[in-house]
Amino acid sequence: MNWYPIFLREILLFRRRLLRLGYVVSAMFAPLLYLLAFGLGLGKRVTIPGVSYLDYLLPGLIAMSSMTNSYTWVANGLTVGRLHFRTFQIYIQAPVTPAAIVWGQVLAGMARGLFASLIILGLGLLLGSGLKLNGVFILVLLLNCMVFAAFGVVVGMKSRSHEDTATFTNFFILPMAFFCGTFFPVEEMPWVLRGIIHILPLTHTNRLLRSPTWSAASLGSLALLGAFGIACMVLGTIIIRRYSE
Amino acid sequence: MIVTEALGKNYQGIIALEGLDLHIRPGEIFGLLGPNGAGKTTTIKILTTLARPTRGRAWINDFDVVRQPLQVKRLIGVCPQEINLDKELSAYENLRIYGQLYRVPDLRTRIRELLELGDQSQRAASLVREFSGGMQRRLLILRALMSRPRVLFLDEPTVGLDPQVRRQLWDLIRHLQAQGITILITTHYIEEAEMLCDRVGILSRGHLIALDTPNALTARVGGYVVESLNGVRRQYILVRDKAAAYAQAQNEPSGVIIRQANLEDVFIKLTGERLQH
Repeated sequence: MNWYPIFLREILLFRRRLLRLGYVVSAMFAPLLYLLAFGLGLGKRVTIPGVSYLDYLLPGLIAMSSMTNSYTWVANGLTVGRLHFRTFQIYIQAPVTPAAIVWGQVLAGMARGLFASLIILGLGLLLGSGLKLNGVFILVLLLNCMVFAAFGVVVGMKSRSHEDTATFTNFFILPMAFFCGTFFPVEEMPWVLRGIIHILPLTHTNRLLRSPTWSAASLGSLALLGAFGIACMVLGTIIIRRYSE
Repeated sequence: MIVTEALGKNYQGIIALEGLDLHIRPGEIFGLLGPNGAGKTTTIKILTTLARPTRGRAWINDFDVVRQPLQVKRLIGVCPQEINLDKELSAYENLRIYGQLYRVPDLRTRIRELLELGDQSQRAASLVREFSGGMQRRLLILRALMSRPRVLFLDEPTVGLDPQVRRQLWDLIRHLQAQGITILITTHYIEEAEMLCDRVGILSRGHLIALDTPNALTARVGGYVVESLNGVRRQYILVRDKAAAYAQAQNEPSGVIIRQANLEDVFIKLTGERLQH
């Protein structure tokens, strides 16, 4: 499966954009703002049993950053590349399979999501967080990037305009960022909403990143994240296979 | 090499292409001529697997474009109408990615060959956004040649270029034909079709209305044209030869021009409309 050139293109473009300072700042601005405002400001007045608010918040912000960066880069890149620059059409006319296109996009999205997460993680550690990393933490982070990059493929392929992508973001990504346990425990939400929140992938990422251990509950959350990721990748592959102008 | 049978395509119920029958020979430069919306780009999109036909079938070297897309993609090179290069990447990087998509062996050598062919070796490391329009077009054609295609699709390759750059690209296209590549080119430039193409198909509103060599097509409508002013409108009278043109010119009151017929006259004769507005 020839996914590498698609991955390479995205990474080369990413590297080029990274050299622009404003670009990095804008991509990292929201999570850094949350970290400083909630973690250092509001965090002094908030108590979460058994843990400092900064230590509670940091895994949530890492989950949120990995989600938004993996998703946004892929969804926007595909929408603009397909509808405006028409660079996506190169893939369709080249002898590569739809699955290779999806893998290339998802892996590149994951790389970007991980990059953003590492910056938040580094800053959090500098601010004094005692967050411990282990294999489960890294696995969950990778899985979260994969889920949302694959979701980005679906959105990027189905959007009929840039506004469509923004709509998907506002209805799916933004509510997840706020309600899935990033800033406060899901248990504090009204029970009606909790049912919905518990089937959303970011809830499980947050849960796993805060308690990165092997248990029956964590295996269930991992399975749910895996199922979301695989479903989005299969759906993305089908959409690209059926692509016709 | 390229065969279509009753090929057709609808977009939301509107016919973009209807009943297209083509048989393009190996090594030929075949032109599709027509105004915007005639069905030229739709034809290219179907033949390059970007769009599925609503009706009919098409083959590239006996491979069905719908049922055997991967085999078709390995045979063709595509230069689209829009410049879909990555402008934030260098010329070398653009070619490298494309070459890897096609699994081109000995890629570095191939990229060097192409850059030399396009006279762009000195600009290999430059970002594409720093290139002129003509250089970007040329790079687009070079990219399409990366996999050593046997069939090359050029969709309006010289649109928006100045005459000098356009002629340089024509030279490059002729050079490619000399290497045995079959070329399907779409254009709405009369001169381009006449200068480059071995045969031309004229499309109007999705229908192929004429197909022959440029000379045979112009001979069909008469060898000469007498243009004159009829009030504020120009009128075109097609005549057989120069003597007939002079005779006709005597009857015209003012603004008379006598010239050889071209493919635009063929288009006007067949459709009653002008090709270029």
